[in-house]
Amino acid sequence: MATKEEIIARNPYLPELKEINYYKRESPDSFTIRLKWKLNHGAGQFIFCSLPGIGEAPISICSYSPEYVELNIREVGNVTNALAKLKKGDKLLVRGPYGTEYPLGALKGKNIIIVGGGCGVAPLKGVIEYIERKREKFGDVSLFFGFRTPEFALFSEQMKSWKKTFKLHISFDKIENPATCTTGIQGFVTQLVDDNVKDSNNAVAVLCGPPIMIEKTAELLEKKGFSDKQIYISAERLMYCGIGKCGRCMIHGKYTCLDGAVFRYDELKEHMD
Amino acid sequence: MRRRDVVAPVKTDKSRFQRIENPDDIWLDENTDFPIKKFFFSNREVLFEFSGNKVKNPSLELKDTVYFGVRRCDLNGIMHQDMVFLDDNPDPFYKARRDNSILFGLHCKEGDEYCFCNSVGLKDFFDLMMYDKGNHYLIESGTEKGLVFLDEFKKFFEETAEMISDNDRKIKNNKKLSTTNIKYMYGNESWEDLAKTCLSCGACNLLCPNCHCFTIQDEIDFDLKSGRRVRVPAACQSKGFTRVAGDHIFRETRVSRFKHRIYHQIQYFKERHNEIFCTGCGRCIRGCPVRIDWVKKINEIKDGN
Ligand SMILES: Cc1cc2nc3c(=O)[nH]c(=O)nc-3n(C[C@H](O)[C@H](O)[C@H](O)COP(=O)(O)OP(=O)(O)OC[C@H]3O[C@@H](n4cnc5c(N)ncnc54)[C@H](O)[C@@H]3O)c2cc1C
Ligand code: FES
Repeated sequence: MATKEEIIARNPYLPELKEINYYKRESPDSFTIRLKWKLNHGAGQFIFCSLPGIGEAPISICSYSPEYVELNIREVGNVTNALAKLKKGDKLLVRGPYGTEYPLGALKGKNIIIVGGGCGVAPLKGVIEYIERKREKFGDVSLFFGFRTPEFALFSEQMKSWKKTFKLHISFDKIENPATCTTGIQGFVTQLVDDNVKDSNNAVAVLCGPPIMIEKTAELLEKKGFSDKQIYISAERLMYCGIGKCGRCMIHGKYTCLDGAVFRYDELKEHMD
Repeated sequence: MRRRDVVAPVKTDKSRFQRIENPDDIWLDENTDFPIKKFFFSNREVLFEFSGNKVKNPSLELKDTVYFGVRRCDLNGIMHQDMVFLDDNPDPFYKARRDNSILFGLHCKEGDEYCFCNSVGLKDFFDLMMYDKGNHYLIESGTEKGLVFLDEFKKFFEETAEMISDNDRKIKNNKKLSTTNIKYMYGNESWEDLAKTCLSCGACNLLCPNCHCFTIQDEIDFDLKSGRRVRVPAACQSKGFTRVAGDHIFRETRVSRFKHRIYHQIQYFKERHNEIFCTGCGRCIRGCPVRIDWVKKINEIKDGN
């Protein structure tokens, strides 16, 4: 029998301290940080970030590198606003990685359609960086991103290089001054998908964004011949533990933290509530 | 003989499990109003302590403990919580307490008007089990740990050739859940009849020997520097249970929360662990301030009325 010291030495709730070595204001309500953290993880997985006394928040890893972990965080409440006040050189508490990953290894040779809305683009950046590393393994890769307005667009730096490697399409719900906007069209991301995706042959779609975007995009893709098994989505629920214990992230019988957050659409479709 | 604490049922205003100082306090007449779960899944668990950015494991106070007089429903509740907390990513606090426990059961003869344990396929899960034979108890051991314990305290026991009969193993039930196949009932509109009277108070969650959902939150001391991260039980019947930033709530309607609990109990847990979560103790009906009888509802839907 293990002693209590041995048992507690494997405390899954105990976070580690990691240093921020890059901080960037990404949009009016979000920032990107890079942590000095060599973490073995898959594309689409998430971690918990916290500050002592304030609390924890699950955040998707938005990079794919053996050297570091990048996060893009939207300031919406207590923890995220407190994290926003950190700067380069500061430390935060982290634990992870958790959750399923996009099965990119199994998608060799496929055409990939990536659709992201708002902060849902963040985990997709990790997917794109994975594909960039193994570009020759994939067929056509098309990116479709929707943001509220041009100033809320994420990753403008990266977009420049993605434009060269992939077919990049961007939409904005609202553009103040359409004449001067060169980066995207006015409209919803579904329109971009409708205009540019021809068929479902040898294709897999990866969606991340608000529930309504996922629902509408999946509907559209199905009309174009995609089966639910060709669509991967990322679900968001309240999470406290990340390890299938707190019960908060359940979607019917599934745990978003263990069975997701990346799901194949057929696993979840009938359970969307 | 090693010294151990004893936790056993006690009856004051209500009946519940407590650490026992005096054996005369032990009350074995009926099942307890409250389940035993708080001894393993505690009301407030310190996950770690912090001072500024420094974190450290909490100190755990542990006592070897015999849990005495635990009924089959609560024992199965522990078995279910083991499946959650002792999986391949075990919860150290739960594990430490379970490792230091001896589960010494007491077999019921008959349930009250709310018990329906025979409907949910309970398993034998105990270190030791007592069967009441009127003027003596027969003891059965279910594990190696139980045998070792008997041996250690053998002066209190007598070996016997008397067998535990099939009849001894029976528990008479006065209530029945007529099916555990409820998937097709999910869309049935009459769930609403029950949800309408539900107060979303969460008493059913707290009284359930299985329910183990929790919230993690930080506590900070007056020095604004040191504190601890704790977990506290949470109730899926409350509206805030799923609230995320931006005030979005999943399962916003009372009926969807109500069904979530029932479906987790009867269907979801089984899909994952091959056991029905509910152990038929009936506490969620007995202790409900408006006595919502979901067992009766399932029976009615099954019978088509
Ligand atoms: C798998 C997953 C990945 C995510 N990835 C990102 C990401 O890459 N970038 C990003 O900006 N946001 C992401 N989120 C959402 C982010 O976790 C919440 O915005 C954040 O928890 C809000 O915390 P808060 O304290 O600032 O807000 P408050 O509203 O003050 O929240 C209070 C508490 O509620 C909980 N909470 C609130 N909203 C959520 C939520 N949506 N999900 C889970 N817990 C919540 C937190 O535990 C928090 O401590 C992700 C959520 C999940 C589940
Ligand atoms: S986050 Fe706790 S069970 Fe999924």
